Amino acid sequence: MSTQRMTRAQVPMEEMILAPGSTCQGCGAAMAARLTFKVLGPNLIRHGIPCCPDQVSKHPRAGAVFEGGGASLTGTARGLKALGRTDVKAVGFFGDGGTYDIGFQGLSAAAERNENILVITKDNEAYMNTGGQRSGGTPKYAETTTNPVGPNSRGKSEPKKNIPMIFAAHYVPYIATASVAFPEDLMQKVKYAKDIEGFRMILIQSPCPVGWRFDPAKTVELARAGVQAGVWPLYEIEHGTTFKLNYKPKELKPVSEYLKPQSRFRHMTEVEVNEIQASVTANWQRLLKADEMKTVVL
Amino acid sequence: MHGRGGQGAVTASRIIATAAYEEGKYSQAIPMYGTERRGAPLTAYVRIDDRRVRERELVHNPDISLCFDPLISLQQAVANDLKPHGQVLLNVPFSPEKSELAGNINIATVDATSIALETLGRPITNTALLGAFSKATGVVKIESVEKAIKKYFPGRLGDMNIAAVRKSYEKVSPWVPAKNKVAPKMQVDLNVGGYGTLKDVSSWRVFYPVVDEEKCIGCKTCWIFCPEAALEWKENNKPAMIDRACKGCGVCANECPVKAIEMKRVEGA
Repeated sequence: MSTQRMTRAQVPMEEMILAPGSTCQGCGAAMAARLTFKVLGPNLIRHGIPCCPDQVSKHPRAGAVFEGGGASLTGTARGLKALGRTDVKAVGFFGDGGTYDIGFQGLSAAAERNENILVITKDNEAYMNTGGQRSGGTPKYAETTTNPVGPNSRGKSEPKKNIPMIFAAHYVPYIATASVAFPEDLMQKVKYAKDIEGFRMILIQSPCPVGWRFDPAKTVELARAGVQAGVWPLYEIEHGTTFKLNYKPKELKPVSEYLKPQSRFRHMTEVEVNEIQASVTANWQRLLKADEMKTVVL
Repeated sequence: MHGRGGQGAVTASRIIATAAYEEGKYSQAIPMYGTERRGAPLTAYVRIDDRRVRERELVHNPDISLCFDPLISLQQAVANDLKPHGQVLLNVPFSPEKSELAGNINIATVDATSIALETLGRPITNTALLGAFSKATGVVKIESVEKAIKKYFPGRLGDMNIAAVRKSYEKVSPWVPAKNKVAPKMQVDLNVGGYGTLKDVSSWRVFYPVVDEEKCIGCKTCWIFCPEAALEWKENNKPAMIDRACKGCGVCANECPVKAIEMKRVEGA
């Protein structure tokens, strides 16, 4: 667990990205990339698979197919080990499609082998690069281009895949969730994960103004609302057991504050909002209990 | 149709095609597929005929060119491929006599951004240009445009968009032949496709941040949240916008704890 907290004064001033990138206005993934690579510094080989353009960084970059994220990272990590370059890290910066769905088997296998890699996922909760098709990361009732709302459809009918817990159940050294609205927390986690040996993964919720359909100025506001409502809790899990909840408000905000500004949820009725509220509250109670015991049962 | 992602050029192409269909014509709406993003220039096409249209290609030599964006409206590229005596409808706040576009073309203008801000409250200029399109070209009647809009935007949103259509129907200027006949040699390429680093995105924004240094407490909140690293941290511990990198998303102004950043509308946009 990362014990200290990074302060704003400790945030590195040097930019590792080559801005402006080709993202949309107010892109959460661009924020995530900027903050992440600020902490990681220059000594890494960046791996990418098809995903939204976030930010070009000043690193050597390897590209692979959607399914090949875990495999290509493995190759680089093993190669670096053979060369004795422990100072250079193999880092993957993937989207949610490449982590939750298409890239899952390769990453799962890499996690099971406990490869010495760092995987960072910017989770914008759909295939936003191709126009916003549903993914395993899309939450329940969200409208996407493949889940249009109509007489027989209420948006996506399945809940979001609980991918941090799934990867934690591989008993890997480090899993963490982060949000662009809490940059110090995010950067502390990246800094901590950087020097751990073995498979580590950080999932960053990065709102997408185009796909979630809200005003680009509200990207951070919405990400913050998501964390404060308990929809996207911030926690760390080590070796699939040790658990720590990083953000514990005395009282959660209602989920409607998170759902309402997003037009992808605008069709939701009160009953449906209450259903989401109930599942979020139940999940939060479980997390609080795990935090109290400092361990999570998987 | 030339516009930027988020201005609704693709939706506008569908509305025009639907409106023409409502009048018993054959029509196609074709978006140009690439890596479209909110703010990036893009193109969409419409083909209308009284007979069945068998062609499925993009429109390379249009009769009419529509520009949804004020800054794209200044680029010669929007008028280059037009047929002789082609028509260009621009979204600019000035009269057609002042346009620098060259060629054997006719120009009409309407200030669609202002109309959109007045009626919709957001700079989504598609419907605010469609009324002008209907009046100026006569290709489709305004009633059919309204009918098509109701189909795409049911409820209150439709009424707001129809208000924008009616307003622009009244406000569009008459056609004026272009004063310049020869196109300039130096031209800006409108295509900003693909991934990677862009040189300059200053034309993407409708609003830009202005920092009030007296109010600013130097907390770095704006700097840390800027997705494009478009705020430079100056030696006096205050932020300043980097002109070529800012896309005008407004996150900095929204997050500033003391509201020291104000989003101002770019002149001419």
